[in-house]
This record gives sequence, C-alpha cells and structure tokens, in this order.
Amino acid sequence: MATPDSAEEKPRENPVLWVARPMATAARQFAKSLFRPSTIIYPYERLEDPKFRDRVEVASGKPFGVGRVWDNYRGVHSLNIATCISCNLCAFSCPDICIDMVTVAGGDPKHPKKCPQIDYGKCSYCGFCSDACPEGCLTMTTRYELSTPKRSEMIYSPEKLNAVFHSKLPMNPIRLARPDNEDSILLDPPLCIGCNACARDCPTGCITMLDIPKPEAKPGEKLPRRIWKEPVVNDSDCVRCGTCISVCPKECLFWGTRK
Amino acid sequence: MSEMWINMGPQHPMTHGLWNLRVRLDGELIKDVDPEVGYLHRGIEKISEDRHYNEVITLMDRCCYVAGFAWEHLYTIAAERALHITPPERAEYLRVLSDEFQRIASHLMWYAAFVQDIGLMSPFLYGMRDRDLILDLYQSYTGARMTYEYFRVGGVRSDLPPGFTDQARKVLDWLTPRFNEYDQLCLGSDIFHKRCDNLGVLKANDCVAHGVTGPMIRSAGLKRDLRKDRPYSVYRQLDFDVALADSADVTGRYLVRMEEMRQSVRILRQVVDWLDHHPGPVIAEELPRWLGAPYAPVGKEGYLLKRHYPKGVGFSAVEEPHGEAQAYVVNEGGEHPYRVKFRSPVFANISAARQYMVGYRVADIPPIMGSVDVCVGEVDR
Repeated sequence: MATPDSAEEKPRENPVLWVARPMATAARQFAKSLFRPSTIIYPYERLEDPKFRDRVEVASGKPFGVGRVWDNYRGVHSLNIATCISCNLCAFSCPDICIDMVTVAGGDPKHPKKCPQIDYGKCSYCGFCSDACPEGCLTMTTRYELSTPKRSEMIYSPEKLNAVFHSKLPMNPIRLARPDNEDSILLDPPLCIGCNACARDCPTGCITMLDIPKPEAKPGEKLPRRIWKEPVVNDSDCVRCGTCISVCPKECLFWGTRK
Repeated sequence: MSEMWINMGPQHPMTHGLWNLRVRLDGELIKDVDPEVGYLHRGIEKISEDRHYNEVITLMDRCCYVAGFAWEHLYTIAAERALHITPPERAEYLRVLSDEFQRIASHLMWYAAFVQDIGLMSPFLYGMRDRDLILDLYQSYTGARMTYEYFRVGGVRSDLPPGFTDQARKVLDWLTPRFNEYDQLCLGSDIFHKRCDNLGVLKANDCVAHGVTGPMIRSAGLKRDLRKDRPYSVYRQLDFDVALADSADVTGRYLVRMEEMRQSVRILRQVVDWLDHHPGPVIAEELPRWLGAPYAPVGKEGYLLKRHYPKGVGFSAVEEPHGEAQAYVVNEGGEHPYRVKFRSPVFANISAARQYMVGYRVADIPPIMGSVDVCVGEVDR
C-alpha cells in the first residue's frame, strides 16, 4: 500500500512543544474568559448588537464581524402601501405562490386597492418579489425572527408589512435595473372591440383609449359591432405586468417588440 | 453467532442525513452492505417542469444544502445552453468566486463532520468556525447564508457590494494558515493514521466502473477533474493544480480535500484580483423578456401567445465539491423547461459502498462513510 503518512517525512517537532502549546492556548482562553462573556443570552441580547459584535470580533481575532446581519439580508418584507400600485407582479413572480393580493382600505369601492399578503409559512425568502416590484415599495429587511405560537400568525397582512416599513429597519439596497430591450404591449387591431377592459385594469394608467375613425361601410358589407376606440400604451410608464393581456376578452393584446 | 442485518440509519449519527445503510454482519466483520436512499425525495425534477427558468434556481439551493452554489451553477449553464444565452464575463468570474468559496465551505463542513465521526471534537469546532466566515461573505453579497438564489439564467442577480474584495482577501489570509493547523490536528496524530490508513480502499478501476467521481477518484491517483478536463465557465483562464493522492483510502480522501481547499484559495486570489480591475455588467443584455420575468398568466401557453421562441437542449457537467454533477435541460419553446434531469455524484459514490466497505469492521463504517462526504439532499432530489 502507499504510505500517505507525510508526517514521517518531516522531522518531528520537540515533544515538549506538543504539551506546552495546548497548555498555552488553554491558559490564554481562560484568561480571556474572565473578561468577556462566553454566552450571549439570545432573546435579550443578540450577536448583531454593536457591543457584542465588536467584542466577539476582537476576541476571536477573526477578519470581520461575526453574526453581523448585512443590509441586503433577505428577511421579512416591508411594504409601503402608499406607493403600491397593485400591479400583482410580486404575486406572479413568487415561486412558492405564498403571496395573495388582498383588499386594503383606501381604494375606491369600484376598483378596490389590492396589496400583497405574505404567508411566511411558505415563503422561501428568494427575493424574487422585491426584485420584481417596479415601484420599490416591496423590499426585504434584516428582520429574521418569526416564531409564533400560531400558524395563522405567520400570515402577514399588508397592514402588518406596512408596520415593518415604518419600523425603519435597514432595507435591502439592491434594486435591479430594468432591461433596455423589454417587450412592449402590442395590439392586433382587427380583433379589438374597444371594450376598455385593459385601460380600466391597468395599474399605472398608462393605457388610453383613443378614438379611431369609423370606416364607411361598403355596399353589401357589414361593419363589426364594436366601440370605435383603440388602446394606446405609453411604454415609458408601463411596468410590464401583463394585466391588460390577461383581461382582454378578445386576446388582441400580446407581447412584442415595437417597430 | 450467525450473520445478521443491521440498519444504520435513517436516524443514526453516522449517516449525516436521512438515508439508511443496511449492513450484514458476521460478528464484527462486514459481509455485505446495502445503501437505501429515498427518504428525502422532494420531486425537484418534476417541480422544475412547472417553474420558470429562473425559479428553478430556488430549488437548486435545496438540492445540496452545503454546496448550493455548485448546483446553481450546474443548472444555469445547462439552461443557458438550452436558451442560447451567453453570460457576460464578469458574471462568470462572480460564479467562479461563489463556486470556489463554496468548495472550501463544503469541504470545511465535511472536515468538521468527518473528524467528529472518528472521535475528534475540537477540529469540528474549528471547521465550523472558519466555514462561518465564508457564510458571512455570502450573506454580504447574496443576502442569505445558505439558500443564495444569486445566479440567474444569463448572469447573476447583482454585483458585489463595495469593499467586498478586501474582506474576501482578509478571509483568504485567515484561511491559508488554518489548513496546516487542521493537518497538524489530524495527520500529526498517530491515532488518526491507525484509524484511517488502508481503510475503505477503492482502486481507480473500480471507481471508473462504478461511476465514482470527485475526491474519491482523485484519491485513487486518477487525474480526473472537470475544471481541467472539460473547462466550463472561466476555469481555462485560471491557474491551479488538481489535488491527487495515491493511497485510495480514507487518508487519501482527506489529503485530496485539504489540497483542494488550498487550490481553491489559490483560484480565489486570482478571481478577486480580476474582479477588482474589470467592472462591467453582471447579466446578459439580450435576455428574452419572458425569462423568469413575472407577468399575468394568459391562457394555456401564457406568455407565448402569438410568439415563437427557439427550442434547444442544454447539457452541463460541473465539478461539484462531492464529484461530477450533470444536468440536462430540454427547452421545448415554453417558458418552463420541458424536462430537467440531474446526475448526482454522491448517489454513485454511495452506490458503490459494497466495493469499499465489505471486509472491514463495524467500527470502520463511520470513518469510511464520513470520507465519502454524503449529502442526501442531492442524492434524493
């Protein structure tokens, strides 16, 4: 067999060192333990408190902070209800399907305002929802403590998420830039009936219904029954949520590159 | 006394996860072994067929919980080949940075668990202590310590925070002398050698016959490392050696993993220097809009309404800390992958257990299985 014992090739150290070295380490640790706590009583004290952080860092000789929670930590979400536009993008992007859009107070009764409600029993903290949020109102904070006695308390309503926003926790600073070559909402004009559904449900109000000329009916030809209006999408305001496409009864809106 | 079967697992300190090793014993002597897996099956391949290309990445972190980045890399390469996307170079370097830190973290985790298996308690604490530094680094740029969700098809999620490279250098400087300390704790001890030498021998030809890869095949003296043999990402530009040993036993696997960590530090120093001097985009510009982007579901085909997208298949093979992982992604033109298939290295490694375990004694099982570095999450998927 091969001999993997590389220690045989090297000259052995002085055996006294083998005893002295651990003893010195033990003595050093003992001396340190007189001046610093070896236990942090967690719910009342925590590692990321500045005093513990610095003390642990110095005492352990580590390169940088132990137990530090960085600002871009993906913890509990914070939601700013005031700037939420109810575009549903967070709910669409969730791989765990743990986001429900629920009605919050403050919308008009015909079109109630809907904001995300997150079930933390299912959430995997992947951050796809905060990446998708076009307004930056849904972000993730450094809060990581979620234990509750009841499962129902794991469901955070928009109001509860809004309270996290107002607690002024450090928030994830990462904002993803939107790509330049985004698809636009295109219209297939012959199919459109001018029903106004897309403009009604657009969360940003970037769709306007413009009048189009009613063509003259040729003899023997029947004009389609429709409202003589067509949606026009303002690409710079559009957040690309696709709500208009999903509500279109005639499937006349589609994704594409605007020529 | 007649022979008998004994279940080591699914709840046993030796298993490091949820799997069962059935052992047929004649007294102390191992006559036969039968690994049983499947306790941790979550159907990741099937779930992937119902997720967008980017959402599958959240599942990859759960595939192997100690080497999540390796699996994210594996999947993103395959998906990019299936979707005909080329990531920018800086993203490739960020991926290698994550991969190699992950290799060190995974091997440190293995070191901590393995030395505890053979009865050494304090190295366990040292291994976990130093792994924590890498997890802190991960948290500073991905936002999580274990489930990163950092890679995207076509690049990575975000760039490094300011001051990251200095901290990474500090960690590397801290780690470099530590490996000699670990060696001193283990190789310097005669008890370690008496416990581990000539144990669990699996020769190179047996490794090849059973599909055993990774540190196990390199400990048998066969120079097989996908980073050199089939360079993916930017490994072609990086300077490193393949860790080798020739004893094919538990000590050999220990030596290979220790040397791999040193080589990873060497790679990381080059990568960190490169990242300092080459700013740039971290995600490809020509990404299809429907790629993982959220949108309102429309009809049966969703986003693909009235559009046509190219089809393709993608295969990738990555040198994971445990061995060679492979992925196959079929893109049939939808916004979800049509089929995703993974090859787990650990599955092959523990399937060959009969080859390297029969003939040893019961007390040899923990060191042998510890040296295999089992991660059940990827075995069962």
